[in-house]
Amino acid sequence: MDLTTNHFLFVSAALFIIGMMGVLTRRNILIIFMCVEMMVAAAGITLAAFAHETATINGQVFFLFALAVAAAESAVGLAIVVALSRQGKAPDVNEMQALRN
Amino acid sequence: MSWELIFFAVFSAAMLLCAIGVVAFEEPVHSAAALVGSFINVAALFVLLGAEFLAVLQVIVYTGAVLVLILFTIMLVDPRKLPSFYVGKPLQRNVSAIVGAILLVEIGAAIVTRQALELIGPHTAAMVDSMGGNVQAVGQVMLSEYALAFEIASLVLSVGVVGAVVIGLPNRHIEPNTSTIGLGHSRGSSDMLAAGPKFESPMDIPAKRYTAPVGERTVVMTRDADAYKHPGDTSK
Repeated sequence: MDLTTNHFLFVSAALFIIGMMGVLTRRNILIIFMCVEMMVAAAGITLAAFAHETATINGQVFFLFALAVAAAESAVGLAIVVALSRQGKAPDVNEMQALRN
Repeated sequence: MSWELIFFAVFSAAMLLCAIGVVAFEEPVHSAAALVGSFINVAALFVLLGAEFLAVLQVIVYTGAVLVLILFTIMLVDPRKLPSFYVGKPLQRNVSAIVGAILLVEIGAAIVTRQALELIGPHTAAMVDSMGGNVQAVGQVMLSEYALAFEIASLVLSVGVVGAVVIGLPNRHIEPNTSTIGLGHSRGSSDMLAAGPKFESPMDIPAKRYTAPVGERTVVMTRDADAYKHPGDTSK
C-alpha cells in the first residue's frame, strides 16, 4: 500500500469538517477564528496534494495567495474583537447584533 | 507499508487530534496551543507532498504570526466576559453533526470515485530539483505567471492592515460635554466604587462653554465669505 493523493484528500476533508463543526457549535469568536484558519489549512493541503499529483506548482502558488488573504482576514477580525472589548461587549457571536435590523 | 505511509499516518493522526482539541477545549488559550500543534503537523504533511516552501511558510505565518496575534487578543479580552463553555444548543449540535457527516460521506464518495489526474505539468520532482529546489520553482512561477496576482495580494495585505488599524483605534465619537477621569478603571466597572452611571466623572468639572468676550465689538455684515473684510483691512 502506497501513499496516494486520496489519503491527503481524506485527511484534509476531515480537518475541514472538524473546523466547520467548530464554527457551527462554538460561541466564542476567537475559537471560531481558529476554526476558520483550520479550514484554510485544510484547503491548502488539498491544493498541495493536487499540485503534487499533476506535477504542477500552481496549486502551491495558489495557497500562497490564500495565505495572504487569510492573514489579512485574521488581522481585521482580531481588530474587530479588540474594538468590541473596548466597548465593553463580550466576544460572543450570539450577542453580537450591531449589524442586525 | 512504506515509511512515507507511516509518517503520513502519524502526522495526520496528530493533526486531527489537535484539531479536535481546538474545538473541544474549554479555555481559548488551550485551543490556541492545540492549533499550534495542528498547524505544525499540517506543515509536516506539506513536506510529505514536496511543498517545502509552503511548510516553512505555514510555520512562520500561522504558528509564528497569526497565533501570536490570536494569543494577544485573548489576553486583551476580559476573561470574565468570555462566553461560558457551551457547545451550542442541542439542536445546533445535532444539526452540525448531521451536516458534517453528510459532507464527509459526500467528499469521501467523490474522492473514492474520482479518476486520478494525469501528469500534465512540467514540475516533476526531477525538474524541480534541476531548478534548484521547491522555493526556486514556486518563486519562478509566482513572479512570472502570477505577477499580477502577487501585486494584488500585497494590496490586499496593506488594505487589511490599514483596516485593522482603523477598526482598532479608540472610539473618536465621544459625546460632547462628557468628561472622563483616569482612575485605572471606569466608574461602575468595579465593585469598590460607588455605583453610578458609566462614563460620568465623579468630580464636578464645569462644562467648557463658549462665552462671548466682554466689551465693545464691531459688527461686520457681509454678503458672503469672499466679501468679508477685517475692520481696518484696506487691501480689497
